[in-house]
Amino acid sequence: MPAGGKPPAGYLMEVCVPPIIELKDIYKIYPNGVMANKGVDFSVNAGEIHALVGENGAGKSTLMKIIYGMEKPTEGKVFVEGVERHFNSSRDAIDAGIGMVHQNFMLVPSFTVAENIVLGQEPTKNGLLKKRQAIDETLQISQQYGLRVDPEAIVDTINVGMRQRVEILKALYRGANILILDEPTAVLTPQETQELFSAIRKLVDQGKTVVFITHKLREVKEVSDRVTVMRKGKAIGTLPTEEATRESLARMMVGREVLMRVDKPPSERGRKVMEVQNLSYVDETGRRVLNNVSFNIYAGEILGIAGVEGNGQTELVEILTGLRPATSGDALVNGNPVLNKTPREVRMAKVSHIPEDRLTNGLALEASINENLIVDRYFRSPFRKGTSIDYKTVRDFGAQSIKEYGILTPDGDLPVASLSGGNMQKVIVAREFTSDPELLIAAQPTRGIDVGATEFVREQLVQKRTEGTAVLLVSADLGEVMSLSDRIIAVYEGEITGVFPDAESLGEEELGLYMLGIKKQPAEEMEVLL
Amino acid sequence: MIRKLYMKPFVREFLRILLAITISLGLGFIITLLVSDDPVGAYQAFLTGPLTRINRTGEWIKETITLTLLGLSVALVFKANLFSLGQEGQMLLGALVSGSISLFVPLPAILRIPLALIAAMVVGYLFGALPGYLKAHLNANEIVSTLMLNAIALRLYDYFLIFHIKPEGAGYNASDFFPKEGILPTFIPNVPFLAEAYELFSRRANITIMLYIAIAVVILTWYVMYRTPYGYELRMLGANSKFASYGGINTKKTIVLAFAVSGIVSGLAGAHLGMGIHEKLIANITIGIAFEGIVVALLARNNPIAVPFAALAYGYLRAGADIMERTSDVSREMVLVIQAIIILLVTAERVLPIIQQRVNAARANNNLSMNSEKPALEEGG
Amino acid sequence: MSFDVVLRSIFSAAFLASVLRISTPLILPALGGLITDLSGAINIALEGIMLVSAFTGVIVSAYSGSVGLGVIAGVISGILISYVLGWFHLHMKTDIILAGIAINILATGGTIFLLFVLTGDKGNSQSLASGTVPNIHLPFIQDIPFIGRVISGQHVFVWIAFLLTWLVAVYLYRTPWGSHLRAVGENPDAAETMGINVNRTRMIALLISGFLASFGGLTMSMAYLSFFQREMTAGRGFIALAAVYLGGRKPWGTLAAAILFGFADALSHQLGSLRVPSQLVQTIPYVVTILALVIYNLREQAIKRDRQRKFYEQQQAEMGSGGGL
Repeated sequence: MPAGGKPPAGYLMEVCVPPIIELKDIYKIYPNGVMANKGVDFSVNAGEIHALVGENGAGKSTLMKIIYGMEKPTEGKVFVEGVERHFNSSRDAIDAGIGMVHQNFMLVPSFTVAENIVLGQEPTKNGLLKKRQAIDETLQISQQYGLRVDPEAIVDTINVGMRQRVEILKALYRGANILILDEPTAVLTPQETQELFSAIRKLVDQGKTVVFITHKLREVKEVSDRVTVMRKGKAIGTLPTEEATRESLARMMVGREVLMRVDKPPSERGRKVMEVQNLSYVDETGRRVLNNVSFNIYAGEILGIAGVEGNGQTELVEILTGLRPATSGDALVNGNPVLNKTPREVRMAKVSHIPEDRLTNGLALEASINENLIVDRYFRSPFRKGTSIDYKTVRDFGAQSIKEYGILTPDGDLPVASLSGGNMQKVIVAREFTSDPELLIAAQPTRGIDVGATEFVREQLVQKRTEGTAVLLVSADLGEVMSLSDRIIAVYEGEITGVFPDAESLGEEELGLYMLGIKKQPAEEMEVLL
Repeated sequence: MIRKLYMKPFVREFLRILLAITISLGLGFIITLLVSDDPVGAYQAFLTGPLTRINRTGEWIKETITLTLLGLSVALVFKANLFSLGQEGQMLLGALVSGSISLFVPLPAILRIPLALIAAMVVGYLFGALPGYLKAHLNANEIVSTLMLNAIALRLYDYFLIFHIKPEGAGYNASDFFPKEGILPTFIPNVPFLAEAYELFSRRANITIMLYIAIAVVILTWYVMYRTPYGYELRMLGANSKFASYGGINTKKTIVLAFAVSGIVSGLAGAHLGMGIHEKLIANITIGIAFEGIVVALLARNNPIAVPFAALAYGYLRAGADIMERTSDVSREMVLVIQAIIILLVTAERVLPIIQQRVNAARANNNLSMNSEKPALEEGG
Repeated sequence: MSFDVVLRSIFSAAFLASVLRISTPLILPALGGLITDLSGAINIALEGIMLVSAFTGVIVSAYSGSVGLGVIAGVISGILISYVLGWFHLHMKTDIILAGIAINILATGGTIFLLFVLTGDKGNSQSLASGTVPNIHLPFIQDIPFIGRVISGQHVFVWIAFLLTWLVAVYLYRTPWGSHLRAVGENPDAAETMGINVNRTRMIALLISGFLASFGGLTMSMAYLSFFQREMTAGRGFIALAAVYLGGRKPWGTLAAAILFGFADALSHQLGSLRVPSQLVQTIPYVVTILALVIYNLREQAIKRDRQRKFYEQQQAEMGSGGGL
């Protein structure tokens, strides 16, 4: 479905009217030294739908936060309607006619739709709220922009689609001319997505400008006038959507991955260790996160999951490790069911888990390194003797792990908080690798750690697999998935879109098409390979 | 060198607390100056009183025993990063049950006293487990539920005291004095070569064997907290509850147990009030001590070994205030003002940096790379 | 005892009048507790605020000879002590529960200490000639049988309690400030992005809470009794918190819950004179509050589960008919 054959908006005006938003040479360096934007030039024309695409970590959100006044650029200039602006808070951006709809909605659950929309700018008379007027105004802008909401419904009881419309109306109510939508379709059903798109078109018809962030190239083609691709903190290019193909965009997004050479003896595939059958998961807000996912993992192989983040990988890992209940389906490890069991039961089935967020799940920062190393085994021999934990054994085990895994610290009794990110990750790796797992689930195992630690973790993963462990690797780093995996599954919107038994001969561009939902293998073909 | 020492969290904590106490005592002195005709004498009585006579020292030690138990009880919950205000109710029921056994169960002392103490602990355990269960399984606010349970316990205590325990026709709400078989014995055994000391203490400063029990409970609490799997679970839950569940710890069970074990110790403190201090059950037996465990645990930073020292220091202030009131024109409530200031200074994060900030800093340093929408660290070096 | 006697005494006008009198020093702090609760903080310090106000009111009224000045001073002192709580909580980042406990201790100790300094007595202020607020006799209404005896002749704070309940309801649900306050309590991020100053809103909530609780304290020392007595609030600040939860975190619900607590208290006095254990009657409201907490949370869990299941079934149906993407 192309974008209705309409000429790119702003095309004719370009000569005389400055872009409604223009960013010049934006650098953003966070206090910890992370450089999120590296000299980005970005401009949006009045009255256009501008898509901003890029993988996670490409710097899109940082850029949008700069426009919305939530972050200040380290260097560079921001122009709105030709005037240079220095926003101190999102309040300033709102006053300048910019509205943003965040990925996680900012709504007050017990308030009605109308109350949420007018929050902070309530119509009043003699200091009292004019509820009727709030409802009428809500209805009026709701009709004006074709964003259907029930003004008197309590937000807690409405579905995600309507919540999103409330968020958009909130911005419009505050007089936004420029709307930034951060991955608006991530939480929507296909039908709701269509409704959103027609609403966006209607907004533009009425003179609004829309910037929308997405991973989904199909949507870019469908709704946008122009598209900017970001990769690794830089804007790679901006082009009219009609000149872009999904394939060319995918190439720009993914780029050439530098494949590191990993010394990897050929895989000797053993028996089936894990079997996942028709796994589905619907979350609290009614979003279908996983849809009939089935696959097997065999001893001695690394099965990589390739996908843009937010396509169900996080939930899949949490479900398989007992941290989240599944809605339906089955998962077996060596024939024993592991679905909807406690994390301890899953671990007892010889599954170990490197969590994607090491600070939230993987470690207790105030506790010592040694204590962090034993969370899965403190209750059994040799760590437990009688009624107590044998801290001599714990310390010996700690010292051995510190040595073996090269954790840089003078003493295992120091708190984990004293370590660098890479060494923190080594603590987790040491724990999860020494528990003698038959299945190792590694989520983002090298995220945010230095080159040396990254290399170490990757080598360890390969070694485990060569020793006969089944490994499930989930990573947002496509290069990592491709160079480590023996077999790759591509996922898109909670479904498996392709299975590739020979990871080495696969091109990243080809894989990108499956990850972005452009291509999908026929079910029969997949079944054989899963 | 000094700078390095200051960086040690332990040293820093200690300095922080020392500073808080010093400031509070200073303010206390200013107040005394304003209201007293003999401020120096009054403050001297306050600061040295507990050491001037053996019976005063005895008061101090008895107070310290109660405070130690209460402090441990609170520390056990705080360590799990939970909150409980339920010590008062647990103490009341502990006192009630142990007192009833002391009064009415016709057993020799050697059986009656242990039975009474165990009963106090059991009732504390049960009464503690209740808010724990509500918190863990129903996510019911533990502050509200423990406050409600305190109110219920207080009325149950009064009811049993007035309708079943106090002697027929008595004009006051108190039981008879416990019989000898129901009172904790003096901490010095009555043997010939200690006869003089025994005589002195049992008459002038009746410190009971609860002293030994309290020391044992300190060691046991430390052992449980730092040496057993349960203590490990408790501490990991407190450090990061998500990490605890990820690692396979049954967090709900740990929460219930944290409250319940805390209740055991509070129940014991209640038994001490009846069997060790008042030697009878009286109305309002917990008055003035209900929330004191929180202060002690705060001063001790939830470290069981530090608890008795915090209790000694804090009990000293309380005992000193009593003596100041008796010997000067300043009333003992000044110590409450000092206590309030200590709490505010110790808990105000901005007064002096505390360990939490170090952790926060580490978190902030790592956070950017962890957040899914933020770029990877490797780009920045 | 005879059941008949109890019933008759419960439905006597004098009894219902006493319920109103006893409830008043619960209703007022409960409203304060409600406001802070809705703004996202638990105000443990209601007890202390009440004590300070009760004390200040009596002292100022005794020394100035003016009941009005006493009331004003009592209210100001309540607001000031709330400001101290708010300053430590919001500015110094002290845990609000610990800070609240400290305020309570400070109030208990400080009032007794000053009472002793001023009167030489640590028990009560009866040696000082402090005033009480007037009772309001309603012409005509007082002549109505029964009702007249219930509502006429009550002291002015009884009326203020009902008036303030209404005002709090208006404030919370009819004004933008109330709307901001509730938004801050539920989703501070959402409020912040809409330009609402979260800390300032919370501080205002604490100050209003202090204002309301101070009336509760003044009721104790300048209406219910005519002098200050050490620790005279006797846990009413905590009961008030319970009333907030039992009342479903709504103004009129809180009022009803506070009256229920007052009813149980009055009833226990009544039964006490009949040699019925009043203590057991008094536990009822607390037991009910805990049950209310339990039921509330069970219901929340059930709603969540149902919603998830409903969504799932809905989608299964859609998939069945529509065939997925």
